[in-house]
Amino acid sequence: MRLIHLPSALLALLSLPLLTPATHTSNWAVLVSTSRFWFNYRHLANVLSLYRTVKRLGIPDNQIILMLPDDMACNPRNSFPGSVFNDKSRGLDLYDDKSGALGGDDNLDMGGIEVDYRGNEVTVENFIRLLTDRWPASHPHSKRLMTGPQSNILIYMTGHGGNEFLKFQDSEEISSFDLADAFEQMYEKKRYHEMLFMIDTCQANTMYSAFYSPGIIATGSSAKDQSSYSHHADQDVGVAVIDRWTYFYLEFLESRLNSTSSDVRLGELFDYQTFDRVHSDAGVRYDLIAGGEHAARDKRVLDFFGNVQGVEIEPGLRAAPEDWKKDLEALQKILESTQEKLDVLSGVDDAAASLHAKGAEATAATASNGQAVSRTALDMAHQGDKWLKKVAGAASLLVLSGVWLASSAWTKRAASA
Amino acid sequence: MSSAKSSPPPEQGSFIWTRRLILFAFWGVVVVLGLPHWLWTTSIHRSQLPLESMNNWADGKVCRLQYPIHVKLRYEDAGFDETNALAAETQHVLNALNQLPLYQFHITGDLANASSEQALLPSHVRDTLASRENSLIVNIQNDKKIKTPQAALKSLIPVLDVRHNPARTGDSLTAFLAREISKVFSHEQNYMHHLLQETPFESKEYVNRFSPEVKAGLDARTTRAFKYASTYHLTFSLFVASSSPSAWNIQQALEDGIYPLIERLSPVNRFTIDTQIQLYASFSPSIAGPQYNPITREWQLQRPDLSGFINAAEWPLSPSIGSGPTINFVLYVPSKHQSPLVLAETGGQSWIVPQWGGVQIFNPADKQVDQLTAEDLRPAMLTFADQLSTLVGLPPSPSSLSLRISGLTRERTTSLILSASSTLGALSRLTLKLTSIAIPDSVAKSVSETIHRLDQACQHMQDGRYLSALENARTAEEEAEKAFFEPSMVGQVYFPEEHKVAVYVPLLGPMAVPLVLSAIKELKKLRERKVKVA
Repeated sequence: MRLIHLPSALLALLSLPLLTPATHTSNWAVLVSTSRFWFNYRHLANVLSLYRTVKRLGIPDNQIILMLPDDMACNPRNSFPGSVFNDKSRGLDLYDDKSGALGGDDNLDMGGIEVDYRGNEVTVENFIRLLTDRWPASHPHSKRLMTGPQSNILIYMTGHGGNEFLKFQDSEEISSFDLADAFEQMYEKKRYHEMLFMIDTCQANTMYSAFYSPGIIATGSSAKDQSSYSHHADQDVGVAVIDRWTYFYLEFLESRLNSTSSDVRLGELFDYQTFDRVHSDAGVRYDLIAGGEHAARDKRVLDFFGNVQGVEIEPGLRAAPEDWKKDLEALQKILESTQEKLDVLSGVDDAAASLHAKGAEATAATASNGQAVSRTALDMAHQGDKWLKKVAGAASLLVLSGVWLASSAWTKRAASA
Repeated sequence: MSSAKSSPPPEQGSFIWTRRLILFAFWGVVVVLGLPHWLWTTSIHRSQLPLESMNNWADGKVCRLQYPIHVKLRYEDAGFDETNALAAETQHVLNALNQLPLYQFHITGDLANASSEQALLPSHVRDTLASRENSLIVNIQNDKKIKTPQAALKSLIPVLDVRHNPARTGDSLTAFLAREISKVFSHEQNYMHHLLQETPFESKEYVNRFSPEVKAGLDARTTRAFKYASTYHLTFSLFVASSSPSAWNIQQALEDGIYPLIERLSPVNRFTIDTQIQLYASFSPSIAGPQYNPITREWQLQRPDLSGFINAAEWPLSPSIGSGPTINFVLYVPSKHQSPLVLAETGGQSWIVPQWGGVQIFNPADKQVDQLTAEDLRPAMLTFADQLSTLVGLPPSPSSLSLRISGLTRERTTSLILSASSTLGALSRLTLKLTSIAIPDSVAKSVSETIHRLDQACQHMQDGRYLSALENARTAEEEAEKAFFEPSMVGQVYFPEEHKVAVYVPLLGPMAVPLVLSAIKELKKLRERKVKVA
């Protein structure tokens, strides 16, 4: 049978030394802005800069989780409706680059922005749930981080923060310890292969000091007790348009990573964030990754920002036309005879009915039926439990208020007496 | 102002006692009602988990992974006793071989040979029946024309046909059988070792040192195949660069090319299928695009372009419908002015994207074709079938499809057991590490169900009932995932001390200050009085 040789030929192809063997099979990006309102325009621009980049470099939209608490493009104060710019030159519309649609180079059309969590959905709880994948069964797949042991994840966060915390929408905050614990849970469940954690906020470097799970490279825009500055304001937009750190990230990524075959290393990317540019001490943490600083700096930027995955070419007609045809014929033969086989099998089942009382599948099927029944029973019990709790709570309240009423009545009587 | 401080009149004894009583009553409320209430409302419900047995599973102490292989020996030209003797001898040799330490061979002679109702059935029906109970059937036939024994696997049923010349071979038939049977299981054995490597289930006695090529091959197989799921969705998409062809007879093509394979795989996985057509499908902007090669008169795609070939932004390849993962199959028809389109490296037209799907370029022979018939699609479907078998993780050898599927059953069961046990271990470590996380009762229930199912799976596997072992392992894995991903086990678990102070001081401060101060005052007075009395 020639069919055996097809995969072995594949293996032979694979064992050829590749230029840069990628050890991951999928790329995911989680991009989070945590602040709303018009004066935080720049945080939205930050996130959209990263969104634009990862999408441009090939991460499909269903593998990008975008959390945007506000929509600056449709804000009534925006004098450029439907647009978000990262620069006062307004050359690049981050919201949806339509320069392609308006004629010229059609390579720039991004196909819109797909926001996964917006407005009030951007909460600490949802973010932690997203990372640890603890969702009710009804949660849509497109809003989940469906990563596995072979996935690389890019996490980018921006907003207002402080020492070891990042504020979410002015109402709550996430601490670096929560984040570290969430990452640990991801690590325990093998939900990532490697992770690049980026954060642009004041005192950003304190956010990753608590991490303790392996396989994470973390970088932040400013050291403890340092502010993270905005780059510049646009007079017509009326507010600062982008933060320095992210501005230079975008500049680097736009200029150096022009195609999915660019070979740029993380070290170069990190070195671009000098104090002269950022006006604060951008920090990087290397010690959690296997191989330390050297290995981390030598990783390709596209391992995190692009969707580079191994592709296995099947031997073509030119390589071995005879083998190829024979393999296909063999497969075809199998498929054809299967039909006969199935007919035979149905005959066998009749004949075998007397010989075999029941197979393993039959027992398995009954077992699963029984399980379904017990599960409904379990749900009922669970609901009953909830009711019990409510009743107990109400009863304790009643007893307390009763005691209070009785005591006040008693004091009144005592006073009148 | 007089320097002499006027003091209040001395208190009556009953007043002192009333004050003490009041104070005592307040403290009594705080201690008897307040404290338990506070403890009750702030406590986190943590059900008891069977941590010890969870860790035992995670450490691989509970289950010894062993795969019994039942082989039936059928020797048409030999007597009953002779067949049994040969079977016993071969079993002894195989088990002593030590090349396949994970497998335990049980070889029996076919007793249905002589007189049984089974003997009345036609031979292929008998084979099918026997294959339900046995992993492998060996048919031996005498052939006086050949010099050395020969063996061939049948493609559909797990039957190994052996022909040998009794005049020429002495006892080497046993050795030959042992060698051929071990050859059948050698790839599976390697893969199992690869799976078990660096897990606690790895057997200590046997260390398999793979050559780098074998290791690369096994690694590639792991990376390529999808993670096990009970249901896969298959999406077949036709992307056309121009306006034609605008239809394809996909129903017929699938029935011919894909359904038979799916039918064979149905004990292990279920499949759902949908198809779609997209016209005017353009390349992704991030790739360089095909280049014309004037020598071969072909348009060629370079290797770096292949990974970005899928235009994720514009081609409607949805991530997942329902619960299972989606395997994508893309048939791309280039526009007329870019045809024929081939891969520069090999001249081939198809490639696999690991854990995603397969892609194929289809260059129609007739450039004006409007509809692709089932006949046109046949080679494409065969390639897709081959890609599908790779993507669901079917082992590349041995050549018998039936043996490959039973091998897949064993491999998948093993990996599910490994995954469920490691999830149990992760959960047990997390509950110890994150002491303030709640553990609802449903988690404890799922955990005990997982352990029960794992026990069952292990037991059935050791009995050689692989399908029901797979069923149990699947349930165990689902329950383990359910326990780990319990939605209510989320919360902000870390509260810094500053937060606690900021919450409790405004709440309890106004109440606690007078209580504590008056208690201190009263205690002081009590001591003074005692000193006076003394």
